[in-house]
Amino acid sequence: MMKHLIYILTFLISTLSFAQNETVFEQANTLYNEGKFDDALEKYKAVLETEQHSAALYFNMANAHYKLNHIAPSIYFYEKALLLKPNDKDIKNNIAYARNMTIDDIEIVPEVGFSRLIKTVTNTMSFDNWAKTAVGLVVFFVVLFMVYYFSYSTSKKRFAFVSSLACLLLVFVALAFAFHKYKLADNNRPAIVFAKEAQIKSEPNLRSSEAFKLHEGTKVQVLDTVSNWKKIKLSDGKTGWVASIDIKMVKNF
Amino acid sequence: MNTLKHITILFILLTSSITFAQVKFETKVSKTKFGVNERLRIDFVMNKDGDNFNPPDFANFTVVAGPNTSVSNSWLNGKHSYSKTYSYFLAPKRKGKIKINSATIEIGKNIFKTKAVTVEVTNAVKRPNDPDNVEGVASESIHLVAEVSKTDPYLNEAITVVYKLYVSTDIGVSNWREVDNPRYNDFWSQKIDVKGLRIQNGKYKGKDYRYVVLKKAVLYPQKSGKLEIEPLTLDLTVEVPTRRKNIFGGRHMAEVNRTVSAGSRTLNVKPLPEKGQPDDFTGAVGDFKFNVITSKSELNASESLQARVEVIGKGNLKLFELPKLTLPSSLEVYEPEHNENVRTNLGGMQGSISDNYTIIPQYRGKYPIPSVSFSYFDLQTETYKRVSSGEIIIDVIEGPINNSSGDDNLAIADSNKKGITLNSDQFAFVKTEANLQPILKNNFFKSAGFWSSLLVPFLVIPLAMFYRKKRDERNADVFGNKIRKADRLAKRYLSEAKKSLGNKEAFYIALEKALHNYLKAKLRIETSDFSKEKIEEILIERQVDEPTVIEFISILEHCELARYTPITNVEMQQDYEKAASTISIIDKEIK
Repeated sequence: MMKHLIYILTFLISTLSFAQNETVFEQANTLYNEGKFDDALEKYKAVLETEQHSAALYFNMANAHYKLNHIAPSIYFYEKALLLKPNDKDIKNNIAYARNMTIDDIEIVPEVGFSRLIKTVTNTMSFDNWAKTAVGLVVFFVVLFMVYYFSYSTSKKRFAFVSSLACLLLVFVALAFAFHKYKLADNNRPAIVFAKEAQIKSEPNLRSSEAFKLHEGTKVQVLDTVSNWKKIKLSDGKTGWVASIDIKMVKNF
Repeated sequence: MNTLKHITILFILLTSSITFAQVKFETKVSKTKFGVNERLRIDFVMNKDGDNFNPPDFANFTVVAGPNTSVSNSWLNGKHSYSKTYSYFLAPKRKGKIKINSATIEIGKNIFKTKAVTVEVTNAVKRPNDPDNVEGVASESIHLVAEVSKTDPYLNEAITVVYKLYVSTDIGVSNWREVDNPRYNDFWSQKIDVKGLRIQNGKYKGKDYRYVVLKKAVLYPQKSGKLEIEPLTLDLTVEVPTRRKNIFGGRHMAEVNRTVSAGSRTLNVKPLPEKGQPDDFTGAVGDFKFNVITSKSELNASESLQARVEVIGKGNLKLFELPKLTLPSSLEVYEPEHNENVRTNLGGMQGSISDNYTIIPQYRGKYPIPSVSFSYFDLQTETYKRVSSGEIIIDVIEGPINNSSGDDNLAIADSNKKGITLNSDQFAFVKTEANLQPILKNNFFKSAGFWSSLLVPFLVIPLAMFYRKKRDERNADVFGNKIRKADRLAKRYLSEAKKSLGNKEAFYIALEKALHNYLKAKLRIETSDFSKEKIEEILIERQVDEPTVIEFISILEHCELARYTPITNVEMQQDYEKAASTISIIDKEIK
C-alpha cells in the first residue's frame, strides 16, 4: 500500500515538474519575443537543468544566442537541435545564418557514388527506427509465412512465399542499416570551437608546431582524446590536436 | 824631407779650403724640437746648381709636401749670389729623437753630402702651431658637431640628429662640400630638409660662435645594443686673416682647405621590455589611437561596405604592420588598400596609417567583425598598451540566404527568384511546442526488448508447424473424429442430461428436451409441431437414413416410457450414449 502511494506520488511530482517546464518554456518564448534574449536564455537553461530536452528547446536557445551575437553557443545549440531532429527545416535555415558569422571557411569533401547513396538512405531514419522497422518486418514475414503454410490454393501459396522471403530479406537490410546508422551515430562526435582563436597543433603537446588555426564557431569531429588534448578532424579532411578547453562537445547526452 | 812633407800637406789643405769655400750644400730644419702633431720643414740649400739630388729617406716621417724647388739669383754690387733650395714638409710618425740622414748632390764632378741632423719629437702640443699658422687657426675655430637628442633610446624610439657647424667670429667659410655622407645603418632614417643656411649665434664651449644647421635627420633604431652613427665629414674652404696686409691696408685673407668631421656617436639602444609584451605586438612604439570603422552597419547583399583599420598618432608609423581584420568567410573581402598620411618632423613621424577593406556581403544575415586589438609601447609610461576595437556587427537586411557551405549557388539563386519561398528564408522564430523529453534516453536498438521482439515472432513458425501436425493427425483419425464429434454434440446438447445422470425422472426429461432442442436448432422446427410423425417426415425429407430416423424416434419414445418404468443406471448410461451417437449420425447425414 505504502509502495503504491510512493509510486503515485512520484508520478504526480514528475508530471508536475513537466507541466512547470512547459510554462517556463512558454515564459521564455514570451521574453524572447519581447527581445529580452538574456532573460529568455536563463529560463531555457532552467528547463534544461531539469534533465529534459528537445530539439525545440535547443533551437530556441540557439536563436537567443544568435540574437545576442554569440557565435559559438548559437551554432552549438543548433547542432544539438539537429542531432535530435536532423531534418528540421527551421533549424537548417537558422544554422545557415549562424554559420555566416563564422570566420573559417572549410570545404566539405563531398561523398560520391555508392557510399553517398548508402549514407543518404542510412540517414533517413534513426537507428531506433531502423530497429523498429526490422521488428515490424519480422512480424510481417511471420504472418506471410503463416499464410503460405496454411493456405491451400497454389497461387496464394506462391504469392505468400515470395513476399515472405522478400520480407525476410528486408529484415536483414533494415538490420544492416540499423547497425550502420548506430556506428555512424557512435562515430559522430561533433564539437564546436569556443575559443576566439584556437591553435591546432600537430601533436598533443604545447611544444609541437602549429598546424593551423581555427576560429570560433567552427564544427569539428573529435576522433581521439589524450589527457587534455583532443584529436579533431575537419570536414575537408585535415586533422590536428586541440586543447580540450578550446572546444565543446555537442553530444553530451 | 820633413819640412817638404809639411809644406805639401799645408798646400793641399789650403787648396781644398778654397774649393770648400766655393760650394755650399747644407740642411736646414725649421726646428729641432717639436710636437708629434706639428710639422717640420726641412730645406736642402746649395749655392751652386747641381745634378742628381738624392734626398734622405724620411723613414720616420710622412712627406706631407715636397720636394719644392726654389732658385734665387741675385746680383749685389757686382757680386753674384745663387741659391737653390729643395724643401720638404714632414710630419713625424713617432715620438723621440729622429735622425735625418744626409742628402747628396753632384756639383761639378764632385759629390757633396750634407750633415745628418737629429730632431726631437715630443708629445703633442696643445697649440700645434703659432697663431700665425693659418691651418692652426682654421682647426681651432671651426667645429662640426652632431647633436643627438637621446643617447639611450628604446628600440624604435625616434631620435634626432642635428649637424651644426660652429665657425668662430673672426674667420670665414667660403665654400663647403660633403665628403662623406653618413649612412645610418640599423636605423630607419628620414632626412629633414634644411631650407637655406641660416647663420645663428651661439656658444660652443663657452665661446661665442656663429653656427649653421647643416643637416637634420630623424632616426628610428631598428636594432638594440650599441649602434654607431657614422660621422659626417665636410671639406671646407676657410678664410683665415693673416698679419699681412694688402695694399689697401686690409688684412690679407689666407685660404685654407680643411676637412672637418663630426666624429662618430655611439648610441645605446635599449630593447623593448619582454615583460608584459602582448602577443599581438608588432613593434609600434609611440602614442597612438586605434580605430576600426565601418562605413555602414546595415546594408543589402551585394552592396559594398568599407571597413577601415586606422592608427593615428605619433611614433614609428611606417615601421609596423596594422592588425588584419579577420572576417567571416561568407563575406567577400578584397585586398586592403593601404593609406599613409604621415609627416615627419624633428619630433618624429606623425599622422595616420590605415587599411581600407572593401567588403561585399553575399547573403543575408548578421556578420560580426571580431574585435581587433592593437598593441603599442608607450614611451611616456614605458609600458605596453593595448587598444581593442570592439565587435562590430554588419546586418545584411536583404539578399539570398546562405543555405549551406557548399557551392550550390544555383539553388540559392533559384530560391531568390520565387517570391513564395522567400518567406522560408527568414530567420525562423522560436518553436512554441516544447515536446520535452528526458535527456537520459534508453535506446531501443540493441536492447533486450529489441532482440526479443526481433526473434520471438520466429518462434511462432515452429508452433504453427506443431499445431498443423497435430491437426493433420486428428484429421487422419476417422473413428476418433466421430467420437470427438459425438462428444462435442453431446456436450452441446446433452450436458444437462449428463448432469442429472442417475436421477431417472430428471435425466429423461432433460434428454428429451435436449433432443428436441437439437432438432429445433438443426431443423428449425417449431415446438408446436413436435410430433414423432412430423419429425420422421422432416428427417427423411432431409435425407437422413431410415434406420437412424427409427433409432432417433425410438429414443424419444423410450424417454417417454422410461418415466414410468424402472430403469437402472446402466440403462440410463446406454440411452445417453445412444442419443449421443444418433445425434452425431444425424448431424453427418442431414443435408
